[in-house]
Amino acid sequence: MKTYAISILLSIFCMQVHAQDWSVRACADKPNEAANPALQDALETLVKTGIPGAVAVVYKKGKLEHYAAGYASIEDRVPMGTCQGHYLQSIAKLYLAVTVMQLSEMGKVELDQKIGQYLPAEVLDLLPDSQQITVRMLLNHTSGLPEYNDVPLYVTRLLQNPDRVFEPMELLGYVNSKKLDFEPGSRYSYRNTNYLVLALMMDHLTLDHVAFMKTQIFDKLGLQNTFYRISPASPAKEAIVQSYWDRFSDGKIENISQFQWNNVASMIGDDGIVSTPEDAILFLRALMEGRLISENSLREMKSWVKTAKGVEEYGLGLDLGRFAGQEGMGHSGGGLGSGTQLYYFPEKDLYVFMGINLGTVTASPIHEKAEEILEHIYQVLLK
Amino acid sequence: MKKTLILILLLAGSLLPEVSAQADFQKDWRNFPIVVSLQFHAISMPFRNMGSNFKNFGLGIGTEVSHNGSQNWVQQFEVVWFKNKASGNGIHLSTQVAWRPGFGSGVFGELKAGIGYLIAKRPGDAWAMKDGQWEKLSHGRKGKLTIPIGIGGGYYSYSDNTFVSPFVGYQVLFVSKYNASIPIMPQSLVQFGGRIHPNYSNTIVD
Repeated sequence: MKTYAISILLSIFCMQVHAQDWSVRACADKPNEAANPALQDALETLVKTGIPGAVAVVYKKGKLEHYAAGYASIEDRVPMGTCQGHYLQSIAKLYLAVTVMQLSEMGKVELDQKIGQYLPAEVLDLLPDSQQITVRMLLNHTSGLPEYNDVPLYVTRLLQNPDRVFEPMELLGYVNSKKLDFEPGSRYSYRNTNYLVLALMMDHLTLDHVAFMKTQIFDKLGLQNTFYRISPASPAKEAIVQSYWDRFSDGKIENISQFQWNNVASMIGDDGIVSTPEDAILFLRALMEGRLISENSLREMKSWVKTAKGVEEYGLGLDLGRFAGQEGMGHSGGGLGSGTQLYYFPEKDLYVFMGINLGTVTASPIHEKAEEILEHIYQVLLK
Repeated sequence: MKKTLILILLLAGSLLPEVSAQADFQKDWRNFPIVVSLQFHAISMPFRNMGSNFKNFGLGIGTEVSHNGSQNWVQQFEVVWFKNKASGNGIHLSTQVAWRPGFGSGVFGELKAGIGYLIAKRPGDAWAMKDGQWEKLSHGRKGKLTIPIGIGGGYYSYSDNTFVSPFVGYQVLFVSKYNASIPIMPQSLVQFGGRIHPNYSNTIVD
C-alpha cells in the first residue's frame, strides 16, 4: 500500500517525461536534375528564420528537381529530404473535389442540386438552413455554413485533449446551434465545414469515400506514398516529418508530432491526407492533364468565384493563387504543425510542391520573416 | 461533470431560507488564515469539459484579509501550481475580492473576481534558433495576465482555538494572449480546500 501511495505521489509530482516515439527516416540523396542553386540558397535562408525544415519539388519540362533544407526532426538531427511524407492539410480539399467531379461524371451527383437529396438525415439535422445550399456552393465556399474550426468549445477541447481523435460527426456538431454566416450563394468565404459536409455526402453516395478516393485517384495514378484517413497503424507514420508549433507566438517551437497526427486523423474532406512531394505533384499533373476528370469537369473546377474586392479567388476545390506576379492553380494548406503549397503555373508550365514542418494555423513571428523569403523563392522559381 | 457545479449551487441555494442567520456568520472573523487547496486545471470553456479538470492536479496556498471586519467581503491572495500534461504546467498568482453571503448554520456561498498572472509552460521542451543553430530550452515559459472569476461555497464555524473552514469552488480564468491568434483563452480550476485559522493572539513569543 505504501509503495502504491509513493508511486501515485511520484506520478503527480515528478516532471513529466515527454516521450517521443516518433522517428523519421533520412532520405537518400536525390540527383538534382537541372538544379537551381538560387532556389536551394533561398530554402537554406528560409530555415534560418526558425522553420525546422523546408522542402520544394519542382516539375518543369519533363524533369523533377528536388530541394530540401533544415531538419525533418530537430531532436534526432534528421535532415529534411524530399522522400519524406508531409501533411497536405487543406490541399486535401482539392483531392476531395476531384472525387466529387468524378461522381458527377458518373451521373450520381449534380453540382447545382440541393445537398438535401445527397445527405443522410443525421447530417442534415446538424446543418443550419441547408435547404438553399447546393453541392457547388460547398465546393466553392459560397454556402454560408459557419466554420467549425474556430468554435471556442472545439478549440479548447482540442488543446486540452491532444491525444484524442475526434469523429467527423462530432466536428460537425460544433456548428449545430449556429446560423448561416450569409445567404447561400451571395458571396465567397472559405470554410472548412463545406468540405467536411462534402466528405459526409461522398460517404453517403459511395458508402466509403476513402475507398472511393483510393480507387479513383491513388491506385489509378500509382500514388504509393499517399494516405487518407491515417490511423496509428498507417504506414504513413514511418516516414512522416516531425511537426513543430510556436504555441505561444514567441518564436520558440515545440515538437507536437503526436498532436498533429491525431488532429489530421480527425479530419475528413477539409484535411486528412499525408503524401510525399512527388506524389502530390503527380496528382496535380494528372488533374491538369485530364487524366482524372474530363476537360469539361476541369473547366468547371476553374470557374472562379470572386472575393468582395472582385478578385477571382476559388473554383471548385481549386485555388487561384498569385505568386511573384503570376497566377498559380492548386491549393495551399496550413495546420498546427505543417504548411504546404501545391500549385501549377500555366504560363511557365511548371508544378511546385513546397512544405514546411512548422505550424501555420496560428501566427508566429517566424512566419513574418519567412513570408518575405517565400516571395523571393517564387521569384527565383518563376523568373 | 456538472455534479461539482450542482453541488456548489445546492450548497449555496438550498440554505437561502436561513439567510436571517447571516449576522452570526459575520461575527468572529479572523484575518490571515492559511488557505490550502487541491486544484484541478483544464483549458476549457466555463462549466464545460469538467472531466478534463480531474486529469490535471494542482496545489494552492494563500491567505485573505477582510475589507469590513467580517468574512463576507474579503481580499484573497493565492498562488496555484498545477500540472497539465496535455497543455502545459503553470503557476497562477492572483488577488481577488470575494463576496460571501451567509446562509445560516455557518454555510456560505461565494462570488469572486480579480486579477492574476499565469506563468504558463509548454507541455514539452522548446526549441529556438540562435545564430543559425537550434538551442533546446526547458519547456520555455510565458507570462500572461488573467481575469479570474469564481463561484463557490463553504462552511465556517468560529472557534477560539485554531479551526478549519472547508470550501469548494469553481474558478474561470480568462487568460490573455495565449498566442497571437487566440487573444483570450478560457481556463478553469476546480478547487477543494480549507482555510486554517490559527489563533495568532495565542502565539507565545519568547
